[in-house]
Amino acid sequence: MEYLILFYEFLKTGLFAVGGGYATIPFLFQMTKVHNWFNQNELINMIAISNITPGPVGINMATYSGFKTLKITGSFITTFAIILGPFILTLITIYFLNKFKNSKTLNQIFIALRPTSCALLTYVVLRLIYDNVYNLKTLNIKAFIILIILFIFYPFMKKRPSLIIFSGGILGIIFNCF
Amino acid sequence: MISLFEIFKIYFVIGCQLFGGGYVILPLLKKYLIEDKKWIKEDELLDYFSLSQCLPGIIAVNISIFSGYKLRKIKGAIVSLFALILPSFISIILIASFLNNLANNKIIQDIFFGVRISVIVLIFYMIYDVFKSYSNKLFSVILYFIILFLIIFTPLTPAMLVLLTVLAVLFGRRK
Repeated sequence: MEYLILFYEFLKTGLFAVGGGYATIPFLFQMTKVHNWFNQNELINMIAISNITPGPVGINMATYSGFKTLKITGSFITTFAIILGPFILTLITIYFLNKFKNSKTLNQIFIALRPTSCALLTYVVLRLIYDNVYNLKTLNIKAFIILIILFIFYPFMKKRPSLIIFSGGILGIIFNCF
Repeated sequence: MISLFEIFKIYFVIGCQLFGGGYVILPLLKKYLIEDKKWIKEDELLDYFSLSQCLPGIIAVNISIFSGYKLRKIKGAIVSLFALILPSFISIILIASFLNNLANNKIIQDIFFGVRISVIVLIFYMIYDVFKSYSNKLFSVILYFIILFLIIFTPLTPAMLVLLTVLAVLFGRRK
């Protein structure tokens, strides 16, 4: 039964996450609330690791969450489930390629979905700041200082994900040693 | 005819070099499929790219299905997709089993304490860049705040809100 639920959740994620790998994050975040497969901290760790290992971030995150849930079997299920929906939809699109390219309705849906994806991700970020930096109604000073440092310096890192994750790790060691 | 093994090789190499979000695949496909192999044309690739953004799912995956299909129809689509995600799959399983054994290590915990905060900043700037790209459209900005309000203050799930957006566009068009 657990296999089926896992398959269903990632099939849904593949079908509703519009805008690439990062758009799957709100759906994974929702899973931390509904299922006890992985918790919020584990999810953020997975996002970080998915950014610094080869392959599309979305696939990495799906494979990783599957592994967290049901080891290798879970990885197969989640990876397969997350690509199944888009695979079928892409084949349909190829079949009607010229119709789709010029479809006004589809264009409008796409334009409308960008703010939606963006808003869903914004919610995740707000929740993460609230839970990680401002946890239990007290400000976590260490976390707050690291947040400010990274926030200021990220634009200078040419916005390279691997660099900021690496710097975050180093700051984590430094701040926890004192 | 292009051999399936050849397709597998190219997409596997691309998968190994792909780090980060889906957009990174575009220059890689350009280098291997257009410049090296001359299998597809540049405007075809751009068509695949813009359609992949509109379709749900992971952009890099969608583009590889489009381009793989172009090369060897359905077989090409399956082989290119499989080859693209194989490096991803192997490396994650290795890292996940390795980290599982280290989960209680003090230094690893300290590292991830900082790494988690960097993920917050990473996603924040990601949102900022996307938001900037449509901030001149009043409709999009209003929609953004409506959805943000709904996800924070109502029990609606992300999937419901995506559906709601699609329905709103379809319904709005009728009038």
